Parts: sequence; C-alpha cells; structure tokens
Amino acid sequence: MRTKNTIIFSLISTFFLIFLISIWKILATLQGLNIQNFNLQIIFILGFLISLAHLTISDKIRNFYKSILFSLIFVICDGYLIQQLPIWYNIGVFLILYFFVNQIKKYNFDNLKEEHSTQVIFFDFLTLFGILFFSFVILFPFYMMLVTSFKTQMALLVNPLDFSINFGQDMKDLFKSYFVIFKSYKFGKYILTSTIVSLGTVIITLLFAIPAAYAIARLNFFGRTFLSTSILIIYMFPAIVLVIPLYTVFSQLGLRNSIEGLLIVYTATTLPVAIYMLQGYFKSIPKELEEAAILDKLSWFGIIFKIIIPLSIPAISSVALYVFMIAWNEFLFSLMFLDNPNSFTLSRAIQYLSGDAETPRQYLMAGSVVVTLPVLFIFVYFEKYLVSGLTAGSVKG
Amino acid sequence: MANIKFNRVNKSFGSNKIITDFSLLVEEDEFLVLVGPSGCGKSTLLRMIAGLEKIDDGEIYINDQKINELHPSKRQTAMVFQSYALYPHMNVYENMSFGLKIEKRPKEEINLKVMQAAKILKIEELLKRKPKELSGGQRQRVAIGRAITRNPKIFLFDEPLSNLDAALRAEMRVEISKLHNQIKTNMIYVTHDQVEAMTLADRIVILNHGNIEQVGTPEEIYNDPENIFVGQFIGSPKMNILEINEENVISENIIKILDNDVQFDKLKLKKSKYFIGIRPEHLKVNQKTSFTFNSEIELVENLGNEKIVYIKKDEHNLSAKIPSNSEINSLIGFDVENIFIFDQDGKRVKT
Repeated sequence: MRTKNTIIFSLISTFFLIFLISIWKILATLQGLNIQNFNLQIIFILGFLISLAHLTISDKIRNFYKSILFSLIFVICDGYLIQQLPIWYNIGVFLILYFFVNQIKKYNFDNLKEEHSTQVIFFDFLTLFGILFFSFVILFPFYMMLVTSFKTQMALLVNPLDFSINFGQDMKDLFKSYFVIFKSYKFGKYILTSTIVSLGTVIITLLFAIPAAYAIARLNFFGRTFLSTSILIIYMFPAIVLVIPLYTVFSQLGLRNSIEGLLIVYTATTLPVAIYMLQGYFKSIPKELEEAAILDKLSWFGIIFKIIIPLSIPAISSVALYVFMIAWNEFLFSLMFLDNPNSFTLSRAIQYLSGDAETPRQYLMAGSVVVTLPVLFIFVYFEKYLVSGLTAGSVKG
Repeated sequence: MANIKFNRVNKSFGSNKIITDFSLLVEEDEFLVLVGPSGCGKSTLLRMIAGLEKIDDGEIYINDQKINELHPSKRQTAMVFQSYALYPHMNVYENMSFGLKIEKRPKEEINLKVMQAAKILKIEELLKRKPKELSGGQRQRVAIGRAITRNPKIFLFDEPLSNLDAALRAEMRVEISKLHNQIKTNMIYVTHDQVEAMTLADRIVILNHGNIEQVGTPEEIYNDPENIFVGQFIGSPKMNILEINEENVISENIIKILDNDVQFDKLKLKKSKYFIGIRPEHLKVNQKTSFTFNSEIELVENLGNEKIVYIKKDEHNLSAKIPSNSEINSLIGFDVENIFIFDQDGKRVKT
C-alpha cells in the first residue's frame, strides 16, 4: 500500500509541477523569450525525483532549507544546464518550486501508509489545479486588455501577439491611451452618466425592493404566494423580446436618449432578483424580534427601519452591489435606447468606438479598463460588509 | 395590578381547533402558570393576551376593558420570549431602553428605569455589551429587564427557561420567584415543565388540547387531581395507574387492590371498571403501612438522594420512589389515604 501510494503521490505532484512550469513558460514566451523546447521529460524526471527525495528526507532538515535546496537544484538543472535564459525567468522558476515544495510538505511516509491517502492527495491537487487553471483563464484576458492599453499604435501593428509591457518608455507615453480617451473621446462624461445611472438604479431598486421583500416575507395578504412565485417570471422573457416593444413605447413617450428611461428599464430588470434575495434574508430574521418590537410600540415602518434594515445590512449591500454591477455593465438596452453620444453610458460608448474603424485598438482597451476598474474597487471595498452573522446572539445560545 | 378575564375564547389555525371555549379569571397580582404538553395551546393563549395572535371568538378583558381589538402596544403587557428576542444590533442598555425611547420619554426617566431594572437583575456591569457577548442566562436576564423597564401591568413569560441548562434553570427560577415578590404585578407564565409550574405558581392551569383540565394552587393540583391526566402530568415519575375490573369491586366501598381488600369511607361504587392511581412516592418499602403486597423487582435506578424502583405485580408495571438509604425489598406497602380512584372516563371519584 505504501509503495503504491508513494508512486501515485509522486506522479500527481509531478504532473502538477509540469502544469505550473508550463504555464510559466507560456507566459515567458509571451514576454518575448525564445523558448524552443519545453523539456517536459526533464521536468518530469526532476519533479519525480524531488517528490521522492522530499519523502525520504522528510523532516530530517528544516523545511525552509529543504525548499531552498530543491528549488536551487531544479533551477540550475533546468535553467543553466539545458538552456540559458534571463535571470527573471529563473527567479520565477525558483518561486514556483518553492511554492511546490511547500505544497507537498504535509505528506510523509507515515500518512502515505493510510489506505485513503491517495484520495486525499488526488483531491488536494485537483483543488489546486482548479484554482490555478480558472484564475489563469479569467485573468489572462484581463491581462491582455491591460497590456494592449499600454501600447502604442506602432507597437501593436508590428507585433500584435507581443504581450510584454515596455516599462522603459516615458510615463506619458505609457498612459497616452488613457489621456486620449478622456480628452478626445469624452470618457469623463460617459463615466459620469454610467455612475448616475448605476447609483440611481441601486437607490430606486432598494427603495422598492425592501418594502416589497418585507411584505412577501412577513405580511399575509391576498395573492401573496402568487406574487412571490411570479416575481421571477419576468426572467422568462429574454431581454431582446422586451426591447423592441419598449423601443416604440419609449420613442413615443420621449424617453429615448434619457437617463430616466434607462433608470425605468434597469429598475424593472433588477427588481425581481433584488426582491427575491432580500425576502430570503428577511425570512431568516427571527420573527420574535419583530414581535418584541411590536410590544415595544413600533409601527410597521419603525420595524423596517429600526430592526429589519440594520440587521440586513449584509444582504442589502450584496443586493446593492449586484444591482450596481448589472446596471454598470448593462449593454443591450443602452444600445437600443441611446443613440445620441451625449447620453452614452460607458458600455455603449465602447461599442460606439469599436464600431468606428478608425478608433485605434489601444484606446478601446483603455476604455475597457476604465469600465472594469470601478466595479473591481467597489467589490473589494464592499466585501467587508458582506459578512453574515449579524443576527448572532439575538436568539438562543 | 390588573385582573384578566377570559370569556369563552376560541382560536383555530385553519381547520385545527387550538382553543375551545376557554374561560378563566386571573386575579390581581397573581402568578399564574399555564402548563400542559406541547401543542395544548398554552403559548397561543399567551400570545392572544399580548395581541400577537387574533382572537377568533370570545373576549379577553384586562381590568374590565375589552382588549380584543386593542393594538398590542396599548395593552400594557410585556413578554419574555423563549428565544429571548434581543435586538442583536443594540447593546444591553439600548435593548432595555428601546421601548421607552419609542415612547419619547425624557432621558433621565429612561436612565432611571433601566438602572433600576439592571439593579434588580444584577446586570449593571453588562449594560455596554452586545447580546452576542452574553451567556444564555445573562441574555434571559436582559430579556426580563427589557420587560421590567416597560413597566407593564402584566408580565407574559413564554417558556423563558427552556433554553437554559438545568443548573441555570433552577437559579433563574428562584430569580423569577423573587422578582414577583419584589414587583407585585400579574405574571402569566407558560411552561411544559411541571417543576417550574409547581414552584412558581400561585395558581396552576393545566391545559390539554385547548381545554382546562384543572385550575388550582400547586397543593390542590398535587393532592387533589380532578382526573387521570392531571394526576399523571404532575409528579415525577408519573402516577401509577391500575385498571380495576368489575370483579375486583367487591362491594360499594371495598375494592381489591394489589391483593388487598381496601375499604374506603364515604364511597358508593357501582359494579364497573375503575382506575386506581397511586403516586410512586407513596409506595413504601420497609415502613409500617396498612397494606402490603409482594412484587417482582425489575430495575432499580439510584438517583443519589432517592431510588426509583420499577416493579411488576401481576399484569401491572409500577414504579416506586424510596429514600436511597432504604434496603430494597420485594414487599411493598401503601396506605388508603394515598389512593385516588378514577372512573371509566378518567374523572376523579372523591373519597
């Protein structure tokens, strides 16, 4: 059992190492390095030997020195014996190896004796593999976007597949695209419009969603079950079906090219999910709290403002975040309803620019970065409000 | 300082009748305990007094004022919930002062009342804490404190101690008893725990399926149960019930119970089936009693201060509670004055 487990452990960890090194090599190629051969056999043998050596040495020497030792051996074999590559590449390899050896440090001959240890090893590495693979898939396009926005027209035309950033150039040239989109393409105005529309949608949605969700969660009224189940029905209509009739209606009402029009549509599309999310949370608030509040002489509105809302801040902020992102990124309705550049939102503006053959690609990418960053920052900021457990301590022990 | 009158109160949830024709008069400053098995409607009654549950039919009066349509906040009641229901986003002081703040009372008055309540319950040093930083017993104290600051005419307790562990429960029970002595107001207390009922109550109401089985002081309930249900509900272990067939009713005042011909005074029995009840603590070992019988001992549980002996006599399974220092002996004795006779429907036949 131990031999079998040892071999399986070494194989899985070796494949994991190969995966890591391969990604690093691909990234290095994109940075302009000329790597002719991935040398997979050598990495395989080295990785296998390192895993075995790790098990044999186990904790005879301290883990820190062991990691450094293994990493150095690998770097020397791979980097200097096989092919001469720049120092930053080798530092990367060193760090990857250091990470790798730290990942496998919890395995030793003792726990490999256990029968189920193969499963544990397999799932451990599967998790790691999944995390790395998906973050690569998601982050790579973003990286491309960022890199392209820092390039000049010339560099893009010379080698469109070069993904390196030339930090050697002047800062002014590096950020040229960003200056240009704000100066010549009025991105400041688009950002303002998008912000107003998104924040407006958040406020209006919450204004309607909180009382509605409360009513569905708590009050008994005629048609309550029908209402709560039919809330999500609006999602059965694809937006594209609604867009054309709405277009005619909005044209006649003069709501096209106006922020008000967008606010109406966006609120209508985000409201169902907002109500649905909030009522689920409201239901989880113990009913006794409200009964205690009734005996404390609070009115229904008092209960909502003084009890329900303070306790639902995590839920309300995640709903707000969700609504904000939907409104910020929304494209279909803004494409249909906005055709005057003065009232464009960001996503509509980028589409407008890309439709124009003369707009250089680096400006488009700079615009895309501008669209993405606020959502990113807001998410990071709001994340701390999304902690649950605010009702802890109200009931029971 | 209030009396409460229930007049033929009815309540049902859907087709499920919870309470039928409930009538009762609660006297001033009385500590009334509603006790019964779960689902008997005791909590519903309490919630109807508080106004959290609608009254389907009948009336409830507080101080001769009909409160059926009165808003909960105007009934001058305060409720202590089983789950405490403290506001988790407020600290203890804010929790206790919340009701007064809503009423827009002056700051000094609020402060005075909260401090008084905190002093009664010995939670002065907890005032700055949030509910989640308190233990179960402390939370329950705060919940009671919140009720006190409201200065209600009627305190309503909805199984307030059932979330606490046994030691804390005993301690809080004493506290609540003291509290009632300190602030003389009506308290209505719902529980399924007979020990709480017996120790706290001025009067106990025993409920079953929404009907009153018996109302009385703890002594009356224990010594003079009106039917088998009450007899078995109060007392631990529960009262032994023996079925007596027609042939064991020897004459109109003599019954053959456990091999003994027991003679009762003032009794006129018919030739029919009867039930005999005898409490475990009244079955005695190694003591002089007027009647004895031989039995088969199945199991002895030693509880430290006493022993529970499970015995088998013919087809009857009985339990006896004896002091733990007494020797176990298969000869069990009992006295005539400790025997309760119930008729076929479970109603008490008075002797």
